[in-house]
Amino acid sequence: MEKKNSESQVIVVTSGKGGVGKTTTVANVSTGLAKLGYSVVVMDLDIGLKKLDLILGLENRVIYDIIQVVEGECTLKQALVKDKRFPALYMLPAAQTRNKDDITTEQVLAVCNELKPDFDFILIDCPAGIEQGFRNSIAAADKAIVVTNPEVSAVRDADRIIGMLESANFKDIKLLINRLRPDMVRSGDMLSIEDLMEHLCIELLGVVPEDSGVVISTNRGEPIILNDRSSAAQAFNNIVHRLLGKEVEFMTLEQDSFWSKLKRNLGFKN
Amino acid sequence: MFDFLKKVFSNDESSSRSRANDRLRVVLTHDRIGSSSQLMETLQEEIIALIARHIEIEGTPEVHFITEGRHTALDISIPLKGR
Repeated sequence: MEKKNSESQVIVVTSGKGGVGKTTTVANVSTGLAKLGYSVVVMDLDIGLKKLDLILGLENRVIYDIIQVVEGECTLKQALVKDKRFPALYMLPAAQTRNKDDITTEQVLAVCNELKPDFDFILIDCPAGIEQGFRNSIAAADKAIVVTNPEVSAVRDADRIIGMLESANFKDIKLLINRLRPDMVRSGDMLSIEDLMEHLCIELLGVVPEDSGVVISTNRGEPIILNDRSSAAQAFNNIVHRLLGKEVEFMTLEQDSFWSKLKRNLGFKN
Repeated sequence: MFDFLKKVFSNDESSSRSRANDRLRVVLTHDRIGSSSQLMETLQEEIIALIARHIEIEGTPEVHFITEGRHTALDISIPLKGR
């Protein structure tokens, strides 16, 4: 495997609340980076509740897991699972029958340091919650992506997580808004992008619209970013490019409808 | 008819979105500093009592949080009686 950059980036994907799309984000962003030729490894730290192997469609290739690596039952190289589609993408599986306390922060750091020479990007799939699993996940990372949904419970948890990341001296914390429904925002029944930015006050990395294609791609074990026609794929592609430091315009989710034009022309506040 | 137009054209105050925003504003402020709405009442009472021990207060004192970005400050406004 060929590394493009001399420096490695270690990015943790976290949220506090479960079910907001952390694993989906990890699967799509890592696939997107690998598609562009970067060498990428995804680390599943959701010990005991693993999902990343399923989302990436790699569940049948898993032989060893990260706990076996740190306990010396196998080498790190033996545990890495190669992606079916992109030779530059690898996954380090979580253990399913163990728990979060079976690995220490020091052990996660050691694994990460061993991976760095071979990979441009190390993406960490953080478990929900703020306990040991969360602490392990953020220990090795220097950047964080906070995933949230436009609903009060997810925003409250995201705010708590951002506070904890700031206390842990994270300088690079970006927000990913997942499952936004522009139609509901327009009708006044969902928090908007601006609302979320006002509450959470961190830089926006991207907005992924609600897309039923995500369920279908999850069923198949193929990240949706590989399906060019879906809006979620376009959103994830933009996110990948922004992570690489490119300026990508935000998709216009709130279409300029007849009503919004009329409203503006009549001088009503939008 | 006017009500209907208002509902269509304006950001309805009673929409679930604005309710969500209002509730989040309150809950996030308290979460961030680890306080409760009970604490606000206690603070208000004690601050006013403290000031009143030294100077005469006139009108209604106000104590509330203001937020800027992720930072919170306590905004205290106590009108004092002139001589």
